[in-house]
Amino acid sequence: MIAENTQTQMRKGILEYCVLLIISRGEIYASDIIAELKSARLLVVEGTLYPLLTRLKNNGLLSYNWVESTSGPPRKYYVLTEDGKSILSQLDTTWIELSYAINTSKKVTENTPNININLTK
Amino acid sequence: MKKTLNINIGNTIIHIEEDAYELLTVYLNEVKFHFSKNADNFEIVTDIENRIAEMFSEILAAQQKQAISIEDVQSIIEQMGSVKDFETSEEAEEDQYTGPSFNPIKKLYRDTDKANIAGVCVGLAHYMDVSVSWVRLAFLVSAGFGGAGILAYLILWIMIPKAGTKTEKMFMRGEEANLRGFANSYLHPFVDESRGFIARSFDALGRFIHGTGKIIFKILAVFIIAVGSFTLISLFITLIAILGVWDASLYHQFPFNIINEEYFTTLAFAAFVTCAVPLLALVLFTVRVAFSSRPVNKTFSFVLLIIWLFGMGSSIFYAVKISSDFKESAEFSQTVELKPYQAYTLNIDRTRFFTSADSLRYQIDPNRYKGRKILTDRDWNNNEQPRNIRLTMVKSEDNSVSMTQNYSSRGRTFEDALKNAQNTHYDFAQKGAVLNFSSALQILQNVNWRDQELEMILKVPVGTSLTINKDLNRSLNGYNYWCDHDDNSDYTEWIMTDTGLKCKYPHEEKEEE
Repeated sequence: MIAENTQTQMRKGILEYCVLLIISRGEIYASDIIAELKSARLLVVEGTLYPLLTRLKNNGLLSYNWVESTSGPPRKYYVLTEDGKSILSQLDTTWIELSYAINTSKKVTENTPNININLTK
Repeated sequence: MKKTLNINIGNTIIHIEEDAYELLTVYLNEVKFHFSKNADNFEIVTDIENRIAEMFSEILAAQQKQAISIEDVQSIIEQMGSVKDFETSEEAEEDQYTGPSFNPIKKLYRDTDKANIAGVCVGLAHYMDVSVSWVRLAFLVSAGFGGAGILAYLILWIMIPKAGTKTEKMFMRGEEANLRGFANSYLHPFVDESRGFIARSFDALGRFIHGTGKIIFKILAVFIIAVGSFTLISLFITLIAILGVWDASLYHQFPFNIINEEYFTTLAFAAFVTCAVPLLALVLFTVRVAFSSRPVNKTFSFVLLIIWLFGMGSSIFYAVKISSDFKESAEFSQTVELKPYQAYTLNIDRTRFFTSADSLRYQIDPNRYKGRKILTDRDWNNNEQPRNIRLTMVKSEDNSVSMTQNYSSRGRTFEDALKNAQNTHYDFAQKGAVLNFSSALQILQNVNWRDQELEMILKVPVGTSLTINKDLNRSLNGYNYWCDHDDNSDYTEWIMTDTGLKCKYPHEEKEEE
């Protein structure tokens, strides 16, 4: 249960960061975001993306344009706002900090199995 | 072969098979419920619907088919993720709502899976959450009371729809019509283990009754609507006629002259409302039940009820007021001596008495009509009012001939009753041996009908012959007037004896026989 909760928390933060990263590359449609996230093995189902996009949009990080579609209803194409761009750069710094923290932590933990192996030997 | 429906999702029209539609409805309801706590729920759900519509279009285009099947919906749900997936991957700390705790909605359906006859009892049992046995017992017992239970059963059979689809069955059982419940019912179809032999044999009959019952009911409904509407229109026309074309002459026709003139308009309206509103309600109700159109607006029904109560109230008020005019009765009599003759002829005189008001009404110039007679129609009296004269012939004790006239009437008070009795006119005249009678007691202009009656007693000495006009026979009181010795004659012949009036030629009658 605790493990699940932590996983959800981690996923949730990274998912938002990834979505902002994907959108920062240019105007994009929700299902293309999903495709990208799926190839990055980050998202399981589409349904979770819509609440996220709506929340980001309402917080002023995203905006969208309606674009006519050949198949089905008009699509919402999302772009980053100025606010979104500044927040994304903040997140970039945070990510560098976090990955440093993880890498540093990992260096310590990577040694542990070796010790264990040595002990078992 | 499967039934398909047309749905509008994300502004796209999609053909969808019925089971697929049910699954999609359940899914979307769950999604809506899941996001209902979210401030942006409308936008999110719209996004999801748009995406589903797009995926439907893609599927249809890719597979070159016309309708979405249940498998397509299942694959889309997989891709979109179920509510459970949303729960795990979503913000765990944010709005942790405690599951759907709403009471499952129950609807009344006939459960044909567990039916003995048509599933009415089982359906009711599901709905009321009691054991089927009790419901069945109740129907059996009430069937004993003049077959009320049987009738109720048949009506319910026709009225209650059968639980056909899985969603309906779940609503019938009060199960949650959600994905899980749906999957359950989809994977494990309801087994009809409790269906007995009787149920199966009733099945064919059931389908027949339900089918023809519906048709009979519809025909009956159409009949009720037609008759009801026709009566309504007739009532309305009658009201218009009574109020609009109303003139003094109608007011003096018999059934209307009971009503005091000042009450007339109000009472006509009140009576109209009292009759028309229930009729209108019946018609509307029948339309609604038979053709399942939208229920009548509540405000409208309420207004109708108020109007009806008002109409009913004033009708009763005036009816009581008018009937109180019949409370007291009064009578006065006058006796005239007649010139004695050995034989009298009793004739009916159709000359009608005209009051000065009548003369004005019919625009009769008294000078022009001087010396002329205006004869009333033969049946004129019959249409106007109940027969109000009676004639009795008794023997006179002192050999004198006399005519006693008793005028009687009813009224609110004794004085009123007496006044009503006096406000009448009757012509009786002796012309030698001929006695002329009017055909009816006339009520004077502007006087209400208050059961005014005239009883006449003709006293003649024993041995006097009486030749009575057959038309007058009807007003004779207490005598056998089948004293026909000659069918061709307009008169019957009588003779006064010690024991009363007798036929003059009783033997001839016997001989004829």
